[in-house]
Amino acid sequence: MLLAGAAWQRGGWELALAGAVGGLQSLFLMAPLLLCAFFIAGLIQNLLTQERVTRWLGKGSGWQSILLACVSGVLIPGGPYIYYPIALTLLRAGASLGVVVAFVSAKNLWPIMRLPLEFALLGPRLTVARLVATLLVPPLLGFLSQALAGRQVEHIRQGIKL
Amino acid sequence: MSVATFSLLIPTLILFIYAWRRHDGSLRRGLMQGWHTLLGVLPLLVMAFITIGYVRLLLPQEGLQNWIGPDSGWGGLFLAEGMGALMPGGPYVVLPLISTLHELGIGLAHTVILVTSWSSLSLLNALFEIRFIGWRFTAIRWTLMLPVPLVVGLLAQALFGE
Repeated sequence: MLLAGAAWQRGGWELALAGAVGGLQSLFLMAPLLLCAFFIAGLIQNLLTQERVTRWLGKGSGWQSILLACVSGVLIPGGPYIYYPIALTLLRAGASLGVVVAFVSAKNLWPIMRLPLEFALLGPRLTVARLVATLLVPPLLGFLSQALAGRQVEHIRQGIKL
Repeated sequence: MSVATFSLLIPTLILFIYAWRRHDGSLRRGLMQGWHTLLGVLPLLVMAFITIGYVRLLLPQEGLQNWIGPDSGWGGLFLAEGMGALMPGGPYVVLPLISTLHELGIGLAHTVILVTSWSSLSLLNALFEIRFIGWRFTAIRWTLMLPVPLVVGLLAQALFGE
């Protein structure tokens, strides 16, 4: 609304209308892409349950658990309301700091639910460039946090209030 | 049909067939869920795209490129990381905005930094994280993550830049 006002002030009704029409036009152009992206998201959500992920990631702090945490982070659907409670459950179940950091980082950087949307909006080149450049980040952050601050995990566990 | 649409159709078809062959109703539920999510965020999408139509009209392209364009130097890279962390909202709002900024001529590195920083250093997300897991965990993850967007952006530029 504010932007529409600014456009009106600068160029009258013509510019105010042009902005809205231009925006809606790009939305229509994107419609088939968006439809695919949302169907992919819906299908994945139905094929993967949260218990499955928590079962995969019981205890352990070795490289296998960290890689598994990355895979789970990629696959788990949902926003912060969903994956932070899962991270919390993992910590309570005895997962190491590295595993939880890897899980959260993978969820942030390569969430399979967001990728189709990113692909649709930013295009293949940018999405692929970002994915390749961040390929090692989640496992690396997992290892680093485990090596540098792994002992903090008890403090973190004790500090959990929920 | 654009390359992006085509390459999104393939995973859609694979998931479609997999869910269909399970014969347990996951196909119908998945499609319905995707459709309902799309309907749920449609008002948000329409608003986001209209906003973007205005941003495209009103934002002075040259000013933007001086601040955060390909030739803006280190200042532009740090600015991109800061902007990413401050961008509020989910992918439906932020990704269209970033795609517009990219179309307006901010470089590949800057775009990758924006997406990386928004998805893993978002201040809004940090609030959730502190609430659920505690400040210690957030402090560790943030400290390790802080240099990552810059490194990843420069890496993407080196690998995929023109």
